[in-house]
Amino acid sequence: MTELRVNNITKNFGGLQVLHNVSFEVNGPELIGLIGPNGAGKTTLTNILDGALNPTSGTVYLNGRRIDAMPPYEVAKAGLGRTFQVTRAFRRMTVLENLYVPALALHPAARQRDFEGKAMDVLEFLTIDHLRNEYGRALSGGQQKLLELGRLLMLDPDIIILDEPFAGVHPKLMEIIYKYIYKVNEDGKAVIIISHDMDTIFTLSKRLLVLNYGDLIADGDPEIVKNDPTVIEAYLGVDEDDDSYDDEEDDDE
Amino acid sequence: MNRQWIPRIAGILAVVLLFIFPFIYGRADYDFIMHLWITAFFFAILASSWSLLAGYAGQFSFAHMAFMAIGAYTAALYGNYIRILSAPTNLCTEYQIGGRWLVILNPVGVTSSAKDCLEIAKESLPVGTIISQPSIWWGVLGGVLMGGIFGLLVGYLVLRLRSTYLALFTIGFAEILRAAISAEIAITQGQAGLELLPLFPRGLTLFGNTYSSTDKLMPYYAMLFLFLLCMAIMLRLTGTRFGLFIRALREDEEAAAALGVNVVRYKVMVFTITAMMAAAAGAIFGHYIGIITPNILLILQMSLVIAMAVIGGLESIVASAIGAIIILFMLELLRNSFDIGPVRVDMTLWRLVFFGAVLMLTLRFRRNGLIAPILDWFNRAGVAEETVAKRQAAPTEGSD
Amino acid sequence: MEYSSIFFLTLLWVLVWGAIGLAVTPRIYLRRDKDVSQTGLMGALIGAAFGPIGLAILWVFTPSYKTRWVLLPGIIVIFILSLAFARADPNNLCVTSGSFVASQLVNGIIIGIIYSLMALGITLIFSILGIVSFAHGEFYMVGGMIAYFMTARWFPGVNPLLAILAACVGTFLIGYVFERLFLQPMHTGEVERPGEYAILITFGLAFFLQYFVQATVGANPVKATRYFDFPIVENALFQTSKGSITFFDAVSIPNPRLTAAVVAVLMLVVLLLFLYRTWTGKALRAVSEDKQAAAVAGINTEGMNTLAFALGSMLAGLSGAMLVQVFSWLPQVGTIASSRSFVIIVLGGMGSLPGAFIGGLMVGLFEAAGTGCIPDPTRAASYIPAYGMIVLTLILLLKPTGLFGKEL
Repeated sequence: MTELRVNNITKNFGGLQVLHNVSFEVNGPELIGLIGPNGAGKTTLTNILDGALNPTSGTVYLNGRRIDAMPPYEVAKAGLGRTFQVTRAFRRMTVLENLYVPALALHPAARQRDFEGKAMDVLEFLTIDHLRNEYGRALSGGQQKLLELGRLLMLDPDIIILDEPFAGVHPKLMEIIYKYIYKVNEDGKAVIIISHDMDTIFTLSKRLLVLNYGDLIADGDPEIVKNDPTVIEAYLGVDEDDDSYDDEEDDDE
Repeated sequence: MNRQWIPRIAGILAVVLLFIFPFIYGRADYDFIMHLWITAFFFAILASSWSLLAGYAGQFSFAHMAFMAIGAYTAALYGNYIRILSAPTNLCTEYQIGGRWLVILNPVGVTSSAKDCLEIAKESLPVGTIISQPSIWWGVLGGVLMGGIFGLLVGYLVLRLRSTYLALFTIGFAEILRAAISAEIAITQGQAGLELLPLFPRGLTLFGNTYSSTDKLMPYYAMLFLFLLCMAIMLRLTGTRFGLFIRALREDEEAAAALGVNVVRYKVMVFTITAMMAAAAGAIFGHYIGIITPNILLILQMSLVIAMAVIGGLESIVASAIGAIIILFMLELLRNSFDIGPVRVDMTLWRLVFFGAVLMLTLRFRRNGLIAPILDWFNRAGVAEETVAKRQAAPTEGSD
Repeated sequence: MEYSSIFFLTLLWVLVWGAIGLAVTPRIYLRRDKDVSQTGLMGALIGAAFGPIGLAILWVFTPSYKTRWVLLPGIIVIFILSLAFARADPNNLCVTSGSFVASQLVNGIIIGIIYSLMALGITLIFSILGIVSFAHGEFYMVGGMIAYFMTARWFPGVNPLLAILAACVGTFLIGYVFERLFLQPMHTGEVERPGEYAILITFGLAFFLQYFVQATVGANPVKATRYFDFPIVENALFQTSKGSITFFDAVSIPNPRLTAAVVAVLMLVVLLLFLYRTWTGKALRAVSEDKQAAAVAGINTEGMNTLAFALGSMLAGLSGAMLVQVFSWLPQVGTIASSRSFVIIVLGGMGSLPGAFIGGLMVGLFEAAGTGCIPDPTRAASYIPAYGMIVLTLILLLKPTGLFGKEL
């Protein structure tokens, strides 16, 4: 069973403390929402879990293996996959090639054609199978987002971190992403969703983590967290302006 | 028949033509044309391996000619300073191997008055001592290995450097190497250059025909063979996970790493492989032209390679190789100066001016080069049609 | 032999403790949960300067980073090394002759100032367009060529100021047109992968300009005559001849170099005044700080890009026009100027104008020391281009933001 243990993660940038003694655990195929105002440290936490950054102190274990000192490519193979806030499809590679990258990275002896079937299944599920030979740059912003999700399926990690999967996404695509999240969750993967969109977070997640200026101030059932006075004070009480995010994301067409 | 087959058939035809070319071409300028082909293969190796490094892996290195020079100089130093004797000199640094002695000469520089240890020892060597140069192919091999070692080193050093910083670092590396070669006159003879033996110093007899050591036939086939070998290796590599991963790290290094690609290993690998190819080309070409000077490291030589790759098509190994060959022939055939009224147009220079202009215009308006799109038209035939057809077949898909 | 062993032992001592400081200090700061940035550099220099004692003190107190904790040990390291050098080779001119040292020092500073004039332009371009112009040296070459042709071929006897002006106008125009035609599309998103495009296109321009000049002018070296003669003055402090000025009978500076250096200092002042006092200058700085915000504030960022590139190219042309009376001029001189400028901007931190100036001085001094003090002058001269490049590669590997650059 998937097991992620985050123990007392602290991260300093220069003199600035971005994360302060963050600890939590993920056991089994949970659906977790991670929220917090801008600058709360959500992306930094993702980068630390993923291996892109090393924590100043603290440890991270995934299925019993310590991953906080590993480079990102080993963390990925150890079973942790993530998407990025800004879409990062490989623009000058075809859609299929995009999918082969993680598959081949995971299986050192395999060849591209071994994964053709699986890749086509993934593309069909994401409804972009007709684009399989198009270059990444020919895809619309939303389709590139789907492509990124597809790459994660090929990596087949135990735990998936989605950084703002709904930002700037067409409602039609939103449905597909919903379907995607439920599917990978049913397949036994834990999913951590970082989002500004409160509605989706409350519909989707069974558990909520709230970060506020580097501190993990709440961890638990969304309904309970919602009514937690510290959370209301720190975050929910403030009217979030979601629109600013939508503009930023969708100029990738 | 699908048009995807056309470039393959054309490629096979071209290779066959290149193989029989020396025997079917009989005009008076045979030597000149053969020389052009040898040079063209040389530049094609450099341009295509640079396109693997810059176009595929996104590493805009300006040290490619430096790796070439490392190969050429390793071969030259080996040829100039290593001898095999049947008796010990007791003067030089020497190692006994079986009944022979491997002698490393001491560098004496360009001043002709000084004698190296072998010349001094000659007076006391027993009569009948055989002094011979070991096979040049070991020197070529040494050059390739040395190129690989430096490629590995540079690859590791530049792991953290991106685009402009990488360009500056590699320019610095090439300049340091050039200064060192020019300055260490005692060993490298500086601007005077080091001489190399022809590829087959004693000539060659094939199928009853004897070719002298200066015949262009052997270097032609040596270079052609190396060119085809490099192309085969690179084409094979780009079809495997190696090609996929280096393109992924060109597109987005962090995203590739997050998907499990060992970015460190593949970056170092691509530097090592391309450096070895450049070094091999340098070693063979050095033996062909017979002398190498530090000027092969001038930044303009590098710009020539870059321009060939860019005009051909940076993101395609085949296109940049074809581009290099075509451009080399055009540059050489445009040497004839002419007069416009009283003004003499010196084409030896103006051809390079035009070349520079073509380079800039290609970059600005045909980013993928002039030849790559043609190949793409064949290779990616039917993609757009397929997309459209599938879209019509599945009208319900979501897209924004 | 004994002397040089002293030198190498000192060198080894400095290197070993420097390396230990570099490797261990950040870990200690990390364990104490203090800011780690810059501590490697600080540890390396303190280790090299004060050895184990300095490191012990540093590790016990772990002070937070201040510029003086780097500057002071840096100076001491240079001092120790020069002392060791002096002990190793007591007959070297650099040790025995004070006036030789003074003259090397002054000439190093003069040439350093001239270098920084070259580098100002490339820095200006980098700070605003965010690209390194690989054609910078070619603008320098073209500027020199225009000045030479004005004074020597087309209008002999013309006021050299006019020639310099012509060089400025000429390079400004080339820069302007090139930016409009080839760099503008980069900012409007018309060109994909702007980073690599900028490298290649400026490289292409360098290639084009160099051969264009070679084809039109020829490859023979040319040199402009002195722009003006010094008045003959003689007093206790200095004496002049037409072509040079000599201080204390010891330090002689050739006239063309001195004028070039004076112009360089003037240009720096003018440039700073322009950037900080005029509206256009402020707009330029705004663009370099934050392109989008500047655009929102109503600044024509496209125009600013063009202006910056043209101005930067003009500065290169100006330094060429000043130096064509110092060096002999070939279509290839640009390559050397380019590589010097690269060293300087990397040393000074990409995009920092004062950094470029100090970087230029450092390169000038470094080269003067390298050529003047290393025994075997022919070899030393051949290595000149390499000195700067060694500095460049080391800085890129150790501290890519340069000595004065902002943290990335």
